Amino acid sequence: MESKRTFLIVTNNPLVAECVPADYAVDFENITYREILVKVRDLVYAGHRLYTHPLSGSVKPNETPYKSVVVSRLPKGMEPEEAAIISNSIETFDKFTPRKRELTQQMFKDFQLIDYTLLCGAVGLDAAAGLSNRKSH
Amino acid sequence: MSYRVVHYINQFFAQIGGEEMAHVAPELREGFVGPGMALSQAWKGEAEIVKTVVCGDSYFAEHEKEAKAQILEWVKAEKPDMFIAGPAFNAGRYGYACANICAAVQEELGIPVLTGMYEENPGADLKNKVLMVATANSAAGMRKAAPVMAKLALKIMKGEKLGASCEEGYMPNGIRVNFFEKERGAKRAVDMLVKKLNGKPFVTEYPMPSFDRVAPNKAIKDLSKATIALCTSGGIVPKGNPDHIESSSASHYGEYCIAGVDDLTADTYETAHGGYDPVYANADADRVLPVDIMREFEREGKIGKLHDYFYTTVGNGTAVASAKGFAAEYAQKLLAAGVDAVIMTST
Amino acid sequence: MKLELGYIQINDIQFSKECKVENGTLFVDADAVRAFMYEDDDVKDWVKSFSFDIAKPGESVRITPVKDVIEPRVKVEGPGGVFPGVISKVDTVGSGKTHVLRGMAVVTAGKIVGFQEGLIDMSGPGADYTPFSKLNNFVVVAEPKDGYQDHKHEYEHAVRIAGLRAATFIGEIGRNVTPDETQEFETLGIKEGIEKYPDLPRVAYVHMLQSQGLLHDTYVYGVDAKRSLTTIINPTETMDGAILSGNCVSACDKNTTYHHQNNPVVAELFAAHGKTLNYVCNIITNENVYLADKQRSSDWTAKLCRLLDLDGAIVSQEGFGNPDTDLIMNTKKIELQGVKTTIITDEYAGQDGKSQSLADADPLADAVVTGGNANEVIILPKMDKVIGMLDYVDVIAGGHAGSLREDGSIEAELQVITGATNEMGFNCMSAR
Repeated sequence: MESKRTFLIVTNNPLVAECVPADYAVDFENITYREILVKVRDLVYAGHRLYTHPLSGSVKPNETPYKSVVVSRLPKGMEPEEAAIISNSIETFDKFTPRKRELTQQMFKDFQLIDYTLLCGAVGLDAAAGLSNRKSH
Repeated sequence: MSYRVVHYINQFFAQIGGEEMAHVAPELREGFVGPGMALSQAWKGEAEIVKTVVCGDSYFAEHEKEAKAQILEWVKAEKPDMFIAGPAFNAGRYGYACANICAAVQEELGIPVLTGMYEENPGADLKNKVLMVATANSAAGMRKAAPVMAKLALKIMKGEKLGASCEEGYMPNGIRVNFFEKERGAKRAVDMLVKKLNGKPFVTEYPMPSFDRVAPNKAIKDLSKATIALCTSGGIVPKGNPDHIESSSASHYGEYCIAGVDDLTADTYETAHGGYDPVYANADADRVLPVDIMREFEREGKIGKLHDYFYTTVGNGTAVASAKGFAAEYAQKLLAAGVDAVIMTST
Repeated sequence: MKLELGYIQINDIQFSKECKVENGTLFVDADAVRAFMYEDDDVKDWVKSFSFDIAKPGESVRITPVKDVIEPRVKVEGPGGVFPGVISKVDTVGSGKTHVLRGMAVVTAGKIVGFQEGLIDMSGPGADYTPFSKLNNFVVVAEPKDGYQDHKHEYEHAVRIAGLRAATFIGEIGRNVTPDETQEFETLGIKEGIEKYPDLPRVAYVHMLQSQGLLHDTYVYGVDAKRSLTTIINPTETMDGAILSGNCVSACDKNTTYHHQNNPVVAELFAAHGKTLNYVCNIITNENVYLADKQRSSDWTAKLCRLLDLDGAIVSQEGFGNPDTDLIMNTKKIELQGVKTTIITDEYAGQDGKSQSLADADPLADAVVTGGNANEVIILPKMDKVIGMLDYVDVIAGGHAGSLREDGSIEAELQVITGATNEMGFNCMSAR
C-alpha cells in the first residue's frame, strides 16, 4: 500500500513546501510549471511510479504557475501507461498559448492554494490542518 | 473586376486522350478547358479561369521536377488569385499530380490552392497540407463536386473565414473548426450509439489520432551475438548531404557505410532535417544516431556487432506512405545482411 | 421509479413585495430571499452582503464572474425534497411530482478566488454560446466578509449553499401553481425492463463527475464524489437535485447544477427509451487526481456495465486534462467488456485548431461527440450593463492581458463563457 513513506512530492509551490508535514518527502524547486512536468517525466523514465495526474485541476496550465505532482520516492520500474500520461501532459501544456499578464499577490496565493488542496485531496492530507500549521499567515 | 484563377487538368479531361496520351508534356491554354467550364459557370462572373495548364499524368509522375518548374513559371507569370487542380476523383496519378502541384504552388509562390479528389486517392495523403474537396470516386461526380469547389474557392479568394470541413465540403485537414449542428450533442450521442449498436455506419465527430501499432518482435536472447543496425528519421547524413535528402517531405532515404567509424563529428556528419534546431545535431550527430555508444557496447561485448550501414531519412512532413515505402525497401537489405535488430531514432 | 415533472413556464421576473407566479411572470421579494439565505450559519459566517439583479434574454447585459446556475424546483408529491442531503433531508428523491420553474434560473456570481471565471452575455455573439442567455436570470451577487482569503473552501461552500437556498425559496413559490405542461419519466427494475423490452439494446449513462478538490467538487446527496466509489443512481433522482455542482473552474465545460437538473443525456435517453433502446440507469463515477483512484473507479464502471448486462453506454466528461485520462480509461474498459460506447467531450485544440484535442486517446474510443474547441477566440462587444465585476476578465482561463479592451469589448477564448463547450452535450456546437 502506498503511503506517505513512499510518496515524493515534486513541486514549485511554496505553500506545499510550507504546509506539508515533515514526514512527507518534498522536492521543492523554484522552477516553471513546464519544468516541473519535465522533471517528473525524467523521474518516470528513470522508473519512479507516477501517483497523481500531472494535469490535475481544470485551471489551465497557462493560467496557474504552480504544479505539484506525486511520484514514488524510489524507482520501481517504468510503467508505460504512466510514461504516456506524463509525456501527453507536456504536449498538452505546449498547445496552450503563453499569456503575458500581471498577477496580483492574491492571485498567486489563490493559485498556490488550489494546487495545494488538490494535492492534499489526492494524498489524503488534511489541507486545513496544514494551513493552520503555517508559521505566518 | 473578377478574381483570376489558373486551372490544372490532365490529358484526359483536356480530351487529348486516355492512357495512350498520358506522356504529353505540359502546355498552357487560354481560358477554361473541360471541367473548368463548370467552375466558371458556378462563379457567375465573380471569378474566371484565365489560363488552363494541361499535363499528361505519366509525364508528371516521371518528370516531376521539370513539370513542376515549367508550371510554376507559368503560374508565377500569370499572378492569379488562386490555383485550382482537378478534381481527380479516383485517378491515382492524376490525384498525385493535383496534390503535388498544388503544394508546390502554395509553398513556392504563396498563392492559395484547392483541389478535389476521392478520399482514398493516394493524392489525398497531402490533405493536411493542401485544401481538398472530397468527391465521388468517378467523374460522374463532377456535377456535385464543381459547385462545392467553386464556392469554396470564391470564399478563399474573398478572404472569408472557412467553416468546418463538413459544412464546406473539404476533407478534414487536422484544423479543428467550431460550428453549430442542428441537434444538441446529447441527441447526437444517442443517435450515434443506436447506429453503433445496430451495426450501422456512423461518423465520429473527433477521430482519435491514429496510431499505427506494430506488434513487437520477440526479444533477442543473446545481445552479445547480435548484429544491430542504426536507422533514423532524424536526417543524419555525411557532411554535405551527398544524396540531397530534402529538409522536409523527403522523397528518398540514404544508405551510408560506417565501417570503421567510431564517432560522428562535426567535421564528418550533419543533419539534413529542417524541422528542428540543428545546432546540437550538427555539433555531434551521435546525439541523434548514437554510433559512439554502439561502438562502446561493441567493444564491451554487450552487442555482437554494429551493422556497417545505417539508413536515414528526414521525417519532417514526409508522407507516411513514403516513409513506409523507404523502410520496406531497406528492411529487405537489412534482412539480407543478417541484421538481428534495429534501433530507430527520431528527433 | 417514476417522477412527474410539472413545468411552470416563466417568461419574466419582477421584484415585488409579494411572491407569486402570475401569467408566466415570477414576482419575487428579494429581501425575503436574502433572509432565507442568511438562515444558514455558514452563509451568515462568510457572506457580507448579497445584491440582486434580473437579466433577461436579448438585454445588453453581461453577468460575470458566474459561479453556479440553478433551476428552481419544488417537490410537491413523493418522498424527500429538492437538493437532498444538502438543503433537504437525505431521503431518496426521484419519485412523485416535482414542479419546475422553466425558462428561468438563479445565477450566483461574485469573486471567490482571484481568477474567478465564467461569463454570460444576454445578447450579442457571446449569447449564442451559452444556454443561459435564453433564460430569465435571477442573479445573486455575493460579497465576502473580510478574512475570507484564508478560508476559500468555507466561502465557496457558503456561496454554493446560498445559491441553492435562493433556488429553493423561489421554487417554493411554484408549489401551488398549476403547471403548463407535465411529463412523466420512469425507470424500471432490471428484470421488469428486460421483460418489457426484450428486443431493445440495454443502455446506461456513465456520468463522470468532477471530483479533484477545492473548486473542483461535485456532491451526490451531499457526499463529496471524490470520496465515493462508482455507483448507480436512478435518472430521475438527478432531476430532483441529487447531484450538485461545487465546480468553479473551467467555465465552458463545467457542469452547473442546472446542467445536472436538466441533464441532456438523461433527457435524450428517456426520449429514445422503449423505442430504439432500453434506458437502464445512470452510473456515476468520479475524476480523481490520484491515479490509483482512476484505475479503481474505471474498473468499477466497466464491472457495473457488465453486471447490468448492458449493450451500450454513453459516457460524458467534465473538465479538462486530468479527466481526459478517466474518460479514456472508462471507455476502453467498457468497450473491452463488449459494451459499445459513445462519448461526449470537448476539445482544447489550440487557438489555431491544429493541436491534439485531448490529453489522452485510444482507438477504442471510436464514437465521439464533441462540444467544440474551447480555445477558439471570440470577440465579445461591450455590454451596456455588467452584473458582477469585470476585474477578472484579463486573468480568467482563455483571457489574457489586454483581453478587456479600451472600448469595453473582450477578446478571449470560448473557455470564458459559462457552458459554451458543455461535455454532457447540452449545446448544438460541435467541431470538425
